[in-house]
Amino acid sequence: MKDYVKYLIISILLQLLFSELISINGVQPNILLLFIIFSSLSISNATLSTLLGFSLGFVGELIFYSGTIFGISSLTFSVVGFFASKVSNNFVYRNFDFYWIIFSILGIFIFSFFKYEFYVFSNLKFILGAIYMAMYTIFVGFILVRLLSLKNEILNAQN
Amino acid sequence: MLNSFKFLKNYKDNLTLAICILLSFLLISQSNKEFFNNFRLKSLDFFSFLYSPFNWIDNQSFLIKRLEVLSQENLKLNLELNLLKNQDSENARLRDFVQLKEKVSIDFIGADILSRGFSSNLSSVLVDRGSIDGVKVNFPVMSSKGIIGKVISVSDNASEVQLISDVNFRMSVKILPDEVEGILRWVNDDYCEVFEVKRTSEVKIQDIVLSSNLSPFFPEDLPVGQVIGIYDSTDKTSKILRIKLFSDLTRINQVFIGLKNK
Repeated sequence: MKDYVKYLIISILLQLLFSELISINGVQPNILLLFIIFSSLSISNATLSTLLGFSLGFVGELIFYSGTIFGISSLTFSVVGFFASKVSNNFVYRNFDFYWIIFSILGIFIFSFFKYEFYVFSNLKFILGAIYMAMYTIFVGFILVRLLSLKNEILNAQN
Repeated sequence: MLNSFKFLKNYKDNLTLAICILLSFLLISQSNKEFFNNFRLKSLDFFSFLYSPFNWIDNQSFLIKRLEVLSQENLKLNLELNLLKNQDSENARLRDFVQLKEKVSIDFIGADILSRGFSSNLSSVLVDRGSIDGVKVNFPVMSSKGIIGKVISVSDNASEVQLISDVNFRMSVKILPDEVEGILRWVNDDYCEVFEVKRTSEVKIQDIVLSSNLSPFFPEDLPVGQVIGIYDSTDKTSKILRIKLFSDLTRINQVFIGLKNK
């Protein structure tokens, strides 16, 4: 529990840092999404992960400005939290990078799809925005995974 | 009863996900309601102290460069101002002569950008001026170079600004010198399109684009951008103009809110 709070605080600070200072042409990584993915991978209880995702999405949108539509983060985080918690310990051990990257891409595409209000049907520009955001998020995720030894932390938490 | 309990136990995870998805959709569908907007803005207002240190660093790091640019702009504008003062007095005399209605002038207040939003692609931003400062919904928002958007919701100390780069943003504009009218929409980066331009109208590359008096929210003659391309529409009944905005939407830190809409 203590670790989750510690990483949540780190995520909030990093999210602030990236959204206010290190955005590239307006594109920023979604650090809170990474937090939900990594914490859900370590929690085998899908109900808890889904609720955690929903709550963090809800509270996150009250703390961080996320555009005009409210509720997208709750939707994205609860879906990603649910699926990430379904991945078993063994799979996380063998294909850790593969899973968190897949869930990051899934989350960002759900997020972008709703953020652009189904603009996808008339114009595919949203895909480009989502790809940039996914690339930046994965890049930052790689650094965080290596820097904070997240794989070992998650496997320890699972055991 | 027992079966219901068993069902709930077996499908607890899926049911939780379904409820969370339903609640999220409910929130998304209610996003535009005034109550939700006010609640969200009040909460963002309350937590705005979190952004302050980051905004301060951001402002400091660009301060010297910005000063240099502002000094150059100031010199250029001073020269232009002297010229315009002469033309203005002449214009006022002529308008009085033909008894035209006096043009309305607008006051602007400066505002810092509180947040560009997390995971946003710059379709809206949060600024640190609200109803206490006299800001109201639909007031125009400019950078030092031109229009960048309009206010879409207001709390006591903060306002949400819809940027030109929002895919739903539309604005009535005119192209000088012939005052050809059209409707502006964003394309990508700092580029926009003006559509519904009469095919017979005379428009040239580098013509200046200003807000039109047909716009329901924007006062006329506010600078928007410059024409960089002219094309025929697919049905050949009108022209489409490619516009480069005067403002760089990715580099705005301060904005100016016009304290009056049309």
